[in-house]
Amino acid sequence: MKSYIFSFLIIVICNVHTFAMSDEEKGLKIAKDAYDSTRGYVDSTSEQIMILIDPKGNEVIREISGKNFENMDPNDGDKSLIFFNKPKDVEGTVMLSHTHVNDDDDQWLYLPALGRVKRISSSNKSGAFMGSEISFEDFSGLDYRKYDWKYLGEENYENEICYKLESYPKYKNSGYTKRIGLTDQLLRARKIEYYDRKGDLLKTIYFEDHKLYNESIWFADTFKVVNHQNDNITIYKWENRLLNTGLNEKDFEKSSLSRLTD
Amino acid sequence: MIKISAKSIYLSLIVYLILNSSPIHASDYKAYGFIQPEMSVFFNGKGRHGQKNTNLSIFGKGTFISYLQNDDAKFSINILGRYDDNDRELRYLDFQKLKYEYFFDDLEFKIGNDIIFWGVNETFNIVDIVNQSNLAEDLAGTKKLGQTMASLSYSHDYGKFDIYLMSNFQERSFPGKNGRPRLSMEIDKNTVTYESSAKDKKVDFAIRYSTVLDDLDFGLSHFYGNNRAPELKPNSSTLKFDPLYPILSQTGLDIQSTKGSWLYKLESISAKNGNERHFSAAGGIEYTFYGIQNTQSDLGIIIEYIFDDRNNNPLNNDGVLGLRWNRNDIKSTTFLAGLLIDLSGNSNRLQAEFEQRITDDLKLFVDFSLNGNINRADFSYQFKEDSKITVKIAKYF
Repeated sequence: MKSYIFSFLIIVICNVHTFAMSDEEKGLKIAKDAYDSTRGYVDSTSEQIMILIDPKGNEVIREISGKNFENMDPNDGDKSLIFFNKPKDVEGTVMLSHTHVNDDDDQWLYLPALGRVKRISSSNKSGAFMGSEISFEDFSGLDYRKYDWKYLGEENYENEICYKLESYPKYKNSGYTKRIGLTDQLLRARKIEYYDRKGDLLKTIYFEDHKLYNESIWFADTFKVVNHQNDNITIYKWENRLLNTGLNEKDFEKSSLSRLTD
Repeated sequence: MIKISAKSIYLSLIVYLILNSSPIHASDYKAYGFIQPEMSVFFNGKGRHGQKNTNLSIFGKGTFISYLQNDDAKFSINILGRYDDNDRELRYLDFQKLKYEYFFDDLEFKIGNDIIFWGVNETFNIVDIVNQSNLAEDLAGTKKLGQTMASLSYSHDYGKFDIYLMSNFQERSFPGKNGRPRLSMEIDKNTVTYESSAKDKKVDFAIRYSTVLDDLDFGLSHFYGNNRAPELKPNSSTLKFDPLYPILSQTGLDIQSTKGSWLYKLESISAKNGNERHFSAAGGIEYTFYGIQNTQSDLGIIIEYIFDDRNNNPLNNDGVLGLRWNRNDIKSTTFLAGLLIDLSGNSNRLQAEFEQRITDDLKLFVDFSLNGNINRADFSYQFKEDSKITVKIAKYF
């Protein structure tokens, strides 16, 4: 009986606490908890396949492989390497990114045809990635630090009760003005609608094939991106994703790119 | 370009390494490349030396990379070659890369052929000195030949140091008698002379320090060895150029600042070539408009300028105005155009490149080279009638 009352009190206190939060604070808390639940991966390697589908149903395939290194600095972003494999004319191209939360990333591109590493402008985070419907900005779309948040309530999605969250990008070169997303009780993003710079609905990303990695971190292994303006679809799949593989942070420096290229 | 004897040594080395490495780590290698037929049409009929007004060529490149010894070592080959219908000097094979590298934690050791690029500019790469230019491919000198070297690199938080020892000096390749464009006279390969008594056996030396400080990419380098660019002396009896390779001692600096959509670039050299010292600086800006007119297209504008205190240098007071259009579509359509302007003589030339993927393993390239107003005194006057269009189709494998 005692423990029953105790639990009841906790529930009441929690609810009081939640009630005391504004929708902005509640939205931020859910987004932060969701993001924090994907941290601690240390580093990762994966292969990624994109299927680009036009409205007529024509398909083309893109293949890359990636390495990521988690940045423990709470005010900075992770480091990543992308190795381009298909289409064949870009094979051997490597891109190194040092991401930043609300600033331009640092990016270097090795171009095998020129045999040189170029520091490139990264103000195009919102541009099409390899001709797809996904942009570089979308890969870090779950980073709560990049948005202002607002909790809109609960919504049933695929027979699960989800938190409905609205978010507004802080980054000045963002391609979006607003996003509306659903996050489930396990704090996994299920879908996000993106609104373009004019405020019109641009696309929806459906997060699918959720897998529990290293018994602690949920990742969606498929992003299905539906563009509502041009009716193109991109299916983005992660394969052979491995976490905490013991990568060396030094591999994510410009000076180490020659180790990874021809 | 590799002499036959050296080529057979290299080939046997490749065969040996492939046979010995791939069965052990069957999945630990990558091989890819392309073969590219090309056709050029010249707009002004026959050339001033009687060269044909059309040309056919086949170009190709193959790359092989394998990681060995628990990924602590890498072996790479990058071979390119061309068979040109008209110009014998454009029938070659070159091992751009044929190298073995071993990686320690902070140290890297390398031996073999490699291409080393130094610099930041799009057009005027004056700091870049390690590799010989393949002028037969491109008179602007942007295409290089593989350089044999041994190098050691050390990386630390404050930057990277590279030391190079280079052997097996290669003479600069020029377009031949039937090449187009070509110089007004042929290069006499039998009268090559060197300032260095060791001639082409001289071991050249280079050192470089490079680092990244936030938005700055910085490099400082020094080279001492046979100049890659020969002095060409007209020989009145053979009516050919006699090449002389002086000893060059060149210090170079290259800086790029990347601020949002703006790139600021500067390269500068101070060099002693033979007995003469010269100074040159080149730099510019690049700005990119992203997502123009609510499309996925990007439009970049590039402006670069070069100064050289040698008045007889073809590029001593010249500028480039460039445009780069990137459609960011499924076919990776891009268009790049550059207008090269000689500011002391108001000569100008336009170069443009269009490329678009046709299928997953086919890509189309269309290059234009158009000579505008060219002064009689200008170095490029000898190429005045060589405006052309080149269509290339690359098949990747």
